[in-house]
Amino acid sequence: MKEIDARGLSCPAPVLQTKTAMEAEQLNAVRVAVDNEAAQQNVRRFLESQEFEVSLEKDSANYFVIGKCGEKTLTQPKAAPAAEARQTKIMIMIATDRIGYGDDELGLKLMVSFIRTLKEMGPDLWRLVFVNNGVKLAIQSSESLADLKEMEDSGLQILVCGTCLTHFHLLEQKRVGETTNMLDIVTAMQLADKVINI
Amino acid sequence: MSGLEIPTNDRVIVGMDSLDDAGVYKISDDLAIIQTVDFFTPIVDDPYWFGQIAAANALSDIYAMGGTPKTAMNLVGFPLKQMDISILREILQGGLDKMKEADVMLVGGHSVEDSELKYGLSVTGFVHPDRILTKKNLNAGDRLVLTKPLGTGVINTAIKGGVASVEVIDKITRLMATLSRDVAEVMKQYPVHACTDITGFGLLGHLAEMVDGSGLGVALDSKNIPILSEALDYAAMGLLPAGAFKNKAFREPMVEFSSSVNPLIRDLLFDPQTSGGLLICIDRDDADKLVDELNQKGINESAVIGEVISAPPEKILVN
Repeated sequence: MKEIDARGLSCPAPVLQTKTAMEAEQLNAVRVAVDNEAAQQNVRRFLESQEFEVSLEKDSANYFVIGKCGEKTLTQPKAAPAAEARQTKIMIMIATDRIGYGDDELGLKLMVSFIRTLKEMGPDLWRLVFVNNGVKLAIQSSESLADLKEMEDSGLQILVCGTCLTHFHLLEQKRVGETTNMLDIVTAMQLADKVINI
Repeated sequence: MSGLEIPTNDRVIVGMDSLDDAGVYKISDDLAIIQTVDFFTPIVDDPYWFGQIAAANALSDIYAMGGTPKTAMNLVGFPLKQMDISILREILQGGLDKMKEADVMLVGGHSVEDSELKYGLSVTGFVHPDRILTKKNLNAGDRLVLTKPLGTGVINTAIKGGVASVEVIDKITRLMATLSRDVAEVMKQYPVHACTDITGFGLLGHLAEMVDGSGLGVALDSKNIPILSEALDYAAMGLLPAGAFKNKAFREPMVEFSSSVNPLIRDLLFDPQTSGGLLICIDRDDADKLVDELNQKGINESAVIGEVISAPPEKILVN
């Protein structure tokens, strides 16, 4: 059983520490130590939301939450379907709206073509993440919008950096993908078998 | 302050001996001043919005007492060595814009160097001495109206943990920065019996203060209480702030939940709010009219959430 020591931490840190540990490795049993009742209740809630069977313990100074996963339980919050699990998980992070340096017009065209051709990766392409100038590919006026929508409809998870959309005042104009935060991006990098940076 | 002897005189209409939102001092038969102060550490990352929220939160106490805010002073704690002074400028601009919106004059302020950033206001408002609203004066049969949805405490915890989506952050930032001025203006035209604003003690904590010592009880209909849907999601993930557990431990003996009330909703009724809505106790015949008029003014999430009952006394029943 994996032991997680979250003593000395106040909410929400114990829940986040448990979440990070569970996402990093496939855990089917955890014992989380905390030093206050609020943290114990919150960790219990979190483990229950992940369909763990939870029991609580207490000694003189510490509170414990013990979680064991039932038969049907998946330990990752957004676990991939079983059939997909055997495939390579490729994550592509796109931080620009054009490919390479030199001629910008050419760079923009190359990006449209790159995204159109990504489908050839088949189901190995697992997540597409847009950050910084890359978020401009996911908005109303993007030439790649139709291709991206098609890929999203066929099951590809597309993540678009919310901080970046806000920065460019494009939050309202996003037309494809889920708005995401840095924690999701970092977690995706950790879970991916291969990360390609553009 | 317990154990300290606080002098008072007959011009102090609301003072230290009550649990009210602000103090009230009578100047003449038709004028009293309301004084309040509130400041806190940042709850959102954007300094301009933090300034707006801190100002809206401080002004809220004046509205809850039935008054009109008139003047304010800035209170600032700033870590000069760690932070660029431009951040403070943005905070003060946010606060100032909120004061302009409220038609409040900024007349001064004071800043100290502090290890942690803090901002808020000291506010003075006017009220007619006969029209002061406090937490007392409940009558059996009165209805309770809440003017903003609950859940900002849970969502602020999710923001602190880096798991809140940008859309949610945007939504609650605007909600917390919304002044209760329009509510207060509408409220002045109705026979309101009592009022408070929902802040750190959560809905049930502040309601408990109203019920305590009144000889009356309250029945809430949890299905009618506006709650941000994202707050339920984050509460299910275990993101309740420690303050919600403290509020619950303190006031749970006064509360009786019917078995059908979802445990997440029970906890959210104790969720500490930042710049929460007003909780208005009003004659039963006028409650629906008040809510209709608030809705027409764009205060869409206000709702009748319960009623004052004669028995059991000093209990809050949640159905």
